[in-house]
Amino acid sequence: VNYASAAEVRCGAEHCITCSDEAVAMEVLELDGERELALCQGEDGLRASVEIALVAPVAPGDVLLVHAGTAIAIATAAEARR
Amino acid sequence: MRFVDEFRDAELGRALAGEILSLVEPGRHYKFMEVCGGHTHSIYKYGVDDLLPANVELVHGPGCPVCVIPMGRVDDGIALARQPGVIFTCFGDMLRVPGSNGSLLDAKAAGADVRMVYSPLDALRIAKANPDREVVFFAIGFETTAPSTALTLKRARAEGVSNFSCMCSHVTIVPPLRALMESPDLRLDGFIGPGHVCTVVGARPFEFIPADYGRPVVIAGFEPLDILQAIAMILKQLRDGRCEVENEYTRVVPWEGNLRALEVMAEVFELRAHFEWRGLGFISHSGLRLSDAYAELDAERRFSVPGVRVADPKACQCGEVLKGVIKPWECKVFGTACTPERPIGTCMVSSEGACAAYYNFGRFAREREVV
Repeated sequence: VNYASAAEVRCGAEHCITCSDEAVAMEVLELDGERELALCQGEDGLRASVEIALVAPVAPGDVLLVHAGTAIAIATAAEARR
Repeated sequence: MRFVDEFRDAELGRALAGEILSLVEPGRHYKFMEVCGGHTHSIYKYGVDDLLPANVELVHGPGCPVCVIPMGRVDDGIALARQPGVIFTCFGDMLRVPGSNGSLLDAKAAGADVRMVYSPLDALRIAKANPDREVVFFAIGFETTAPSTALTLKRARAEGVSNFSCMCSHVTIVPPLRALMESPDLRLDGFIGPGHVCTVVGARPFEFIPADYGRPVVIAGFEPLDILQAIAMILKQLRDGRCEVENEYTRVVPWEGNLRALEVMAEVFELRAHFEWRGLGFISHSGLRLSDAYAELDAERRFSVPGVRVADPKACQCGEVLKGVIKPWECKVFGTACTPERPIGTCMVSSEGACAAYYNFGRFAREREVV
């Protein structure tokens, strides 16, 4: 996303990155255990390195809720609990 | 993607809308507040309010972290950004928030080194790449964002990054809600609770709403079906004469929250005695600062910051919008002098601000209605 102009900020910010509260669901593709990071992919196909210290351990295929680059919950956890 | 698509199913949405219609008492007016800006955004984006009966009204709450930052705080950020040798980093939305004399974007245009980041970790990366510069991260957000900042500060200390500091403007959600409940000009029948704040703090902090104020709370996710389901659950509580905190968003919100996140926050932050909120004024114990143990990473202690209080612009009614007293389109400057391209008030800046969400999605529906 190019944040060069105000209009683009608005259009690009489908989910606001400062999101008061909104987090984004992303699926874990690969783990980098040493740095406590995971390579994840969102529904829009974009990939990002995500901090997993708050939810570790996670496994590839888990769906994480990611907020400002940090996973705050594992969506699959509730399913696993059931 | 799993956990997303199934919560946007149109058939189920229509069925839920029918259920909501069967739950409302004709002749009674219901006013529910969605606390969080993420919900406001989803409601306008998916047209959730069009599926509701006319006597169910949704009121937007104070849960947009950009919208609640007062002008004085923006001025402090700009003063820091102008210091020689400083690289000032913040989230994109914060760049356009007007201070008393321009925004961070204006400061950047005038030569200050202001950079947008997606996460606090990006700011730390910039600090490591520029060891001869001071890198300041402007941290804003509720309990959803605070753990991310806390982890980054811990990482900065562990890795010995001495040119990194944080101007902490994190806020907590419960004190402003209590302030709203005490406000005489607002009568609410129930709350749609902020789902992702609750993944961190859990559901327990919201128990004061039913206990002290007798209003139901349903913690909800952000897909359209989540919001409709939450409204149906609040209506059921009202019909049955119950009043409690319920969790619609069980797929991610554990009752007790994320204990690891709460632990890092407790280690890195402490409550400020007071914090100023745009439109709401000073609220006790509602903001976070770095704890004494992390004092050396606190930009406000490392640099001198003016800390001047600046009154909101007279034309701007963000305060009333944040309290849900008026709707965005009832503001005098909405869509004319104040637009997302040239915002006067903060609610028009962030995509989760009620005014921007309404400007981008809702106004078209209203135009149809008015015509």
